[in-house]
Amino acid sequence: MDPSYIYLALGGLALLGSIGVFFGIGLGLAAYKFAVEINPKVEAVHGVLAGGQ
Amino acid sequence: MPNSLQMPTDARISLADNLRRLGAISLFIWVFFFWGCRTEHPYVQNAVFKDNQEIVVTFSGPVDEAWANNRANFSVYEKAAPDIVADLQAAALSSDKKKLSLRLAEPMNRENPHTVILKEILAGGKSLGTASLTVAKPYIGTLVSILIGAMIIQNFVFSKYLGLCVFFGTSRKKSTAVGMGITFTTVIAFSSILSWALYQFVLKPFRLDYLQVVVFIGLVSLTVQGVDTIMRKVNPKLFKAFGVYLVLVIANCIIIAVPLTLAQNEYNLSESLMLALGAGLGFLIALFLMSSVRERIEFANIPQSFRGLPIAFIVAGLFALSFMGFSGMSLF
Repeated sequence: MDPSYIYLALGGLALLGSIGVFFGIGLGLAAYKFAVEINPKVEAVHGVLAGGQ
Repeated sequence: MPNSLQMPTDARISLADNLRRLGAISLFIWVFFFWGCRTEHPYVQNAVFKDNQEIVVTFSGPVDEAWANNRANFSVYEKAAPDIVADLQAAALSSDKKKLSLRLAEPMNRENPHTVILKEILAGGKSLGTASLTVAKPYIGTLVSILIGAMIIQNFVFSKYLGLCVFFGTSRKKSTAVGMGITFTTVIAFSSILSWALYQFVLKPFRLDYLQVVVFIGLVSLTVQGVDTIMRKVNPKLFKAFGVYLVLVIANCIIIAVPLTLAQNEYNLSESLMLALGAGLGFLIALFLMSSVRERIEFANIPQSFRGLPIAFIVAGLFALSFMGFSGMSLF
């Protein structure tokens, strides 16, 4: 096979991988920096209530 | 009695805060406009059409008269047809030696951008290199026509039938429609700028544009999730107003159509932003129109089998027919 295709495929893998890592770290940092405290009771009450929708 | 002219402290803080925000926004807008308007040579300030036979080039300092009077130093052609060089009738320098006017023998079509080549610009006996300048009609006209084109003439909902699921889902009430439209416009502006940058600086140079769909979907999700996370903390009121619509934006086809369009048409940053804003505002208009009609349809006497979605589809079809009236319209 033409080596340029292999380079293209590897480049694509590298791009998608780096985008995944980059976006993941970015979102993780954002979630850490802009963390909002949510009362755990809200979740608990939601869990007990009937969840039709 | 407190002095009514004195502002309370928190009001002053919020004023300063708002001013800072305004400053940041205007800086962004200026950067954005100058990106589209820079000239191609540092010594040339601008090059414009004077009438349909004359082009005026303004330099930032005086140039040598002998160089300017030699017609062989200049050539003018249409940007799309570089092998058809226009006949130069005269080249003249203004008295302050900063403005060079090039007169052509035949009138040119100012609709098309032209290229002016200035060979080896001489200023004070020193050569400043060759300049290749693009002369085009004011750029703002192009931008406005992209905006209006995406908003009305080629409305994504009514003439391309994109984003219909969200369109029918959130157009039952005016308040939901406007909320969805505003949320959508915000997110699409952000994600289009990001995808423009990623396309121009990563995908195109490394010949990875076959991955554009995957990458753009990822970018859209990133933007939506990012706006969700940040807005929740920074502006809870606005977050509440965005509500469930923010998540619905991911499922909209327009948000993926816009990055693909701007990649295909090779738009620059300002054109991309205009296309994104046009698509967002067009979606807002479509939702608002549709919701106004559907609020009234609730009370109309409609045959049983047409109630709900079927009549909504018919209304959307009628809107699409009326939007066809804009087709073929051109601005500027």
